[in-house]
Amino acid sequence: MKFLLVCGLAGLLGLLGAGLVGIWPRPEFPDPDPVAKAWGVANAVAAVVLGVRLWDTIFEVLVYVVAMVGVRFFLLGMRWQGELPPVAETPLLRRSADLLLGPILVFALYLAASGHLGPGGGFPAGAILGSALLLLALAKGVERLSAELYEPRLERLEYVAVVFLLFLGAVVLVLGVRTAAAFVVANLLVAVEVAIGAWAVLHRFASARGEV
Amino acid sequence: MEALSGLSLAVVLAALGLWVMVSRRNLVWKLLGLGVASGGSILFLVALSHRPGVRPPILGLGPGPAADPLPQALVLTAIVIRFATLALALALVILLTEHRHTQDARRLEEEE
Amino acid sequence: MNAALAGILAYFGLGFLGIVFGKGRETAVLAILAGLVSLGLWAPGFPEEVVGGPPWGIAVVGDFWALGIWGLALFLHAAALLHVWPKDQLRHALITLLVGTSLAGGISRDLFNLYVVLELSSLLSVILIAYEGRSAAVWAALRYLFLAGLGMTFYLFGLGLVYGRTGLLSLGALAKVETGDMASRIGAGFLLAGAATKTGVFLLGLWLPKAHGRAPTEVSLLLSGLVVKVGVVAMARLAEAFPLGPIVLALGILTGFGGILYALRESDLKTMLGHSTVSQLGYMLLGLGVGAGEGVLVYAVAHGLFKGLLFLCAGEAVEKSGVRSIAELSGKIPRPAALGLALGSLAIAGLPPLAGFAAKGLLGLGQPFWVKAVLYAFSLGTAASFSKLLPLFRGRGGGKFGGIAFLSAGVLALGILGLFLFPELRGLQAWGEAFFAAGLGFGTYLILRERFPPLPKLSLDRAFLAALLASVILSAFVLFI
Repeated sequence: MKFLLVCGLAGLLGLLGAGLVGIWPRPEFPDPDPVAKAWGVANAVAAVVLGVRLWDTIFEVLVYVVAMVGVRFFLLGMRWQGELPPVAETPLLRRSADLLLGPILVFALYLAASGHLGPGGGFPAGAILGSALLLLALAKGVERLSAELYEPRLERLEYVAVVFLLFLGAVVLVLGVRTAAAFVVANLLVAVEVAIGAWAVLHRFASARGEV
Repeated sequence: MEALSGLSLAVVLAALGLWVMVSRRNLVWKLLGLGVASGGSILFLVALSHRPGVRPPILGLGPGPAADPLPQALVLTAIVIRFATLALALALVILLTEHRHTQDARRLEEEE
Repeated sequence: MNAALAGILAYFGLGFLGIVFGKGRETAVLAILAGLVSLGLWAPGFPEEVVGGPPWGIAVVGDFWALGIWGLALFLHAAALLHVWPKDQLRHALITLLVGTSLAGGISRDLFNLYVVLELSSLLSVILIAYEGRSAAVWAALRYLFLAGLGMTFYLFGLGLVYGRTGLLSLGALAKVETGDMASRIGAGFLLAGAATKTGVFLLGLWLPKAHGRAPTEVSLLLSGLVVKVGVVAMARLAEAFPLGPIVLALGILTGFGGILYALRESDLKTMLGHSTVSQLGYMLLGLGVGAGEGVLVYAVAHGLFKGLLFLCAGEAVEKSGVRSIAELSGKIPRPAALGLALGSLAIAGLPPLAGFAAKGLLGLGQPFWVKAVLYAFSLGTAASFSKLLPLFRGRGGGKFGGIAFLSAGVLALGILGLFLFPELRGLQAWGEAFFAAGLGFGTYLILRERFPPLPKLSLDRAFLAALLASVILSAFVLFI
């Protein structure tokens, strides 16, 4: 079995290497600047993600939300029943979480709102928001935080954000509307949805184990 | 040179991930192997799009031709999909561990 | 094009509204209506168009594949909805999303869009397979997720090579440029290997029988009837753009015989149907390999109908009686399910005037002798593997017809339509050959019944290894054709 595995991996390495050798000469690619201008934004990657290839991005968001639905569904009946471990007394962490939370939130909002002009966008912003929540959970204990952030309502907000995003997709792709405002709205919706999804996963995994 | 090191790292990561996926018996290890292998494929896409001397694909950011924005967009999508797949797989592993009290793939197979 | 996009977006939107408001059933009905309206609006088809505009937009096309997948998807969704109406709401919403994903896969002609659609359909399938939380089903779903993840890793490597060499992602554009060089060939091989792993082709995607066998009834119906067909369409589109014909042909022959061998050996009813789905994939890949696109589509639709019927009845029987093995099930099956099993088995064995006969006849129409010989060998093996269901055809006690009647009508109607449209299928020779192959299959079963050798178990590690080796060999072959 090991022998076959080594043969297969050697074959894989050889084939990929041969493919890489054969990849030159590289083709020319079209200039991204006119595309970015046509969509009314400065960041060509944003123009591709949320404009030209919005159809893919819709599916990507659906993949993310569907996976979160699955994680919630499967771990629903698995809340930790025993004694919760005490939250560690870490004054330094708690104090710095309080201090950092505001700037992190502002930074995430800035990234989401300016994603069409420079580096940034909905996905990084959502990931940053999710990690801000992780920081809070570390400082406060995940169960106390989840009592404050009422989950069913957040979950509903996430699905509503997805429905709005689908609607926006219909407006952009079917009706052919091209404005920078659509990019801002889409980035904010994606940020909300990614942050809620990340929080839900974190919370579910943590509460199935009983601690962060 | 950067592209070459990135590409070879990507290929090696894929082989390493596949090795772990087949040779380890624990499901969480297999999952890590899958994560490393698909990470390799994502790095492969990024490193392939590398061209020396291009500027970021943002309007008015330096002279010279802009980089190809398409692979960057594709990679963003692929990363999110990989994260979602791994999260769902981990949830299923937790569920399975709860039911069968083992994460050993061979024992799970035998007990059926 | 716009009508198709709007229909798909409406499907997804209604699915999510079903989750939000807890009304998955009602929104599923609305979604089917929206899908029908959308299909009616774009119905004769549309030429390839680029969503989002050039240079990087996503190519979609409304060709005969798209039409077939949409028709099949809406019909099977209606059948599943009819049959599992009282089950819980979240399940209906997830099924709506799965059908919507298949609709999107039917029109997609872009490498990366196909990747995203295939991933979405595997995640949804995994959730639905493991939905009831039984540990065997969770294990089957996890195996599926692992192997699909492995396949998609190969797919991304192939995509990187093809994009790096040609700078194109649209399959329509790739068909027009020269793709005979080394990098594109290896890339095409990895793309095909990834799609085949996701579809469940023998040796690459060994997850399929167990996953289809352990899934809840309506999910097996949709997985075998619809989701597998989306994979076939993806492979067909790859074969349109790259010179992959001989490889797909070889995969088809391997898949057909491999699936038949395991189906002959299997004693668990639903898993045996899963192995039979693998063997039926062999017909479709064989047809793709010899370039009989329309015949493959008809076969895919017919297989969707009769395998859906078989899974529906088998699931009904297993749920009602609580046992899974074929030997223990005889005499415990409600009458409608037994009738449906009988009809489905006759159809899959290729007996006239059912859908299987028409589809097999159309696939072999105008093909050289050796293709027909392989098709008859498949028919013989299928009839032999379904012979052991004979004791199950006698039902006991009542039960609901629901989706069974719906799908049976579909199987009959498609068969009679085929007979009506193609005079070649009405001859004495065609009917005689069909009965002869089925009878020979039954005889083979009687001879082999007691002395069938054991086959290697398809454990997860072996499945990984088989997928890795088969992908490498397949790509190497593409390089040297």
